Amino acid sequence: MQTTIPKTSTVLSSLLRADFTTQWRNRRSFLLLLLVPVIILISWKGIVDKLGGAFALSTCITIGLVAIGLMGYSNSIARDRDKGVFQRLRVAPMPSWCIMASRLLVQLMMIILLTVIVFIAGRNIDQITLAPAGYAITFLTAIIGGAVYLGLGQVIVGLIQNPETVNSTTRLIYFVFIMVGMFGELGVLGDQFKEIVIWSPYGTVKRIIAAGMQPETWNTEMTTALLLTIGYAALFSVIGIKKFKWNNR
Amino acid sequence: MNTDDYILQVKGLNVYYGAFHAVHDVSFHVLPGEIFGLLGPNGAGKTTTLSAVEGLLKPRSGSVIVSGYDVQEKPLHAHAVIGVQLQATSFQAELTVSEILKLYAGIYGVAMTREKLMHILQDIKLEDAAGKKFGQLSGGQQQRVSLAIATLHDPRLVLLDEPTTGLDPQSRRQLWERMETMREKDHAILLTTHSMEEAEAVCDRIAIIDHGRLIAIDTPQSLIDSNKTKPEVISASRRGKITLEDVFIGLTGKTIRS
Repeated sequence: MQTTIPKTSTVLSSLLRADFTTQWRNRRSFLLLLLVPVIILISWKGIVDKLGGAFALSTCITIGLVAIGLMGYSNSIARDRDKGVFQRLRVAPMPSWCIMASRLLVQLMMIILLTVIVFIAGRNIDQITLAPAGYAITFLTAIIGGAVYLGLGQVIVGLIQNPETVNSTTRLIYFVFIMVGMFGELGVLGDQFKEIVIWSPYGTVKRIIAAGMQPETWNTEMTTALLLTIGYAALFSVIGIKKFKWNNR
Repeated sequence: MNTDDYILQVKGLNVYYGAFHAVHDVSFHVLPGEIFGLLGPNGAGKTTTLSAVEGLLKPRSGSVIVSGYDVQEKPLHAHAVIGVQLQATSFQAELTVSEILKLYAGIYGVAMTREKLMHILQDIKLEDAAGKKFGQLSGGQQQRVSLAIATLHDPRLVLLDEPTTGLDPQSRRQLWERMETMREKDHAILLTTHSMEEAEAVCDRIAIIDHGRLIAIDTPQSLIDSNKTKPEVISASRRGKITLEDVFIGLTGKTIRS
């Protein structure tokens, strides 16, 4: 008897439809994640001139990326793994990579949405505008930066099985990233700390996003930051994929 | 019957979790139109064996052939002919019943028309719950959705992991009827269960597994007949007449497993 294997494109489109629907049904929690960067833009209204538009927007996009990768992505993976959603999908006639590819494509859309929202809020609240090239490059750097935090989220779900522990760990790391990143970068925690923060995953992502907004300011330091960002993304992804278990039973 | 006619053939299966030898040299086969029960106490190796059949676990040695396809070598072909109902909830709680059915129809390459969708929903008595989210369904309703998806692509082998757990008697009866319908279509069913009543009522053959080893395999009646004189089986009997449960307790012991 002939056995027919469904086309990968058909499988992937079915998964994408389901994953986007799930994301849409969870839109309240996602909107809360997006609210933080917008609130920061509102609260910085009076000091944006001093900080610089690129600094403000890149900080907000970076914070949003941390939230998407750590809280959005990793929590949904941990929850679905716990319920056996992945196990059920893995006994279907499709390669396992399709499951993760669909999840990552949804997150990619969220990164683009976050960037658009920050741009709109920046323009309407703080009157920050960029050159067309700045907007285009920022989308690209935001996606590269987002890969770092998706990779970090993957490491967390790779190392931690329990969804509640994943949830609390990601919140803690999110908080640490924002506080240490923001204050460290401003030099509040000392010069040595500032240097560490600049070359940390937070700092390199933020720098390439800020530089992408003003392409004319791009220099060798930014290229180093870009290479480091790609390195962080690759490192986290490799560890996260290697440690990841589809089943936590 | 030729081995080529087997829907499922498990040969010399050995599965390890680290240093722990979970399944020892297990071999059995399932024929077309057969309902085969895998029984065993908690932690005996039933779900591990089933996971190896599903291709979710890689055995240290041995092979699993489903309808001619080696699960490890041709997993996609093997998965295309298997329908699976897992123990866990298994579906996204945010999706509706219709959306889940459409998702799996797409994954299995089944054309899902509106009429077909309605037919499936009527069949599992969930036509009024089509727009209800999976997470809002009762345990019994979730099981019915799970079974509908396991049989959506008309698989040659259906694997059911404790399918009647948490079901009320009506739902249980309905499930048994559905299994009979599948048998009539020459589909094979491999199920694990803790219910001896269920095993006796629906299974054509039963394998009892304990400590990862297959300790008995036969029809329910033959298992009773061949073990009814054993002292440990007689001592397990509570009502004088030897039942499958007595045989099971006699062979696997009275100690409660964790």
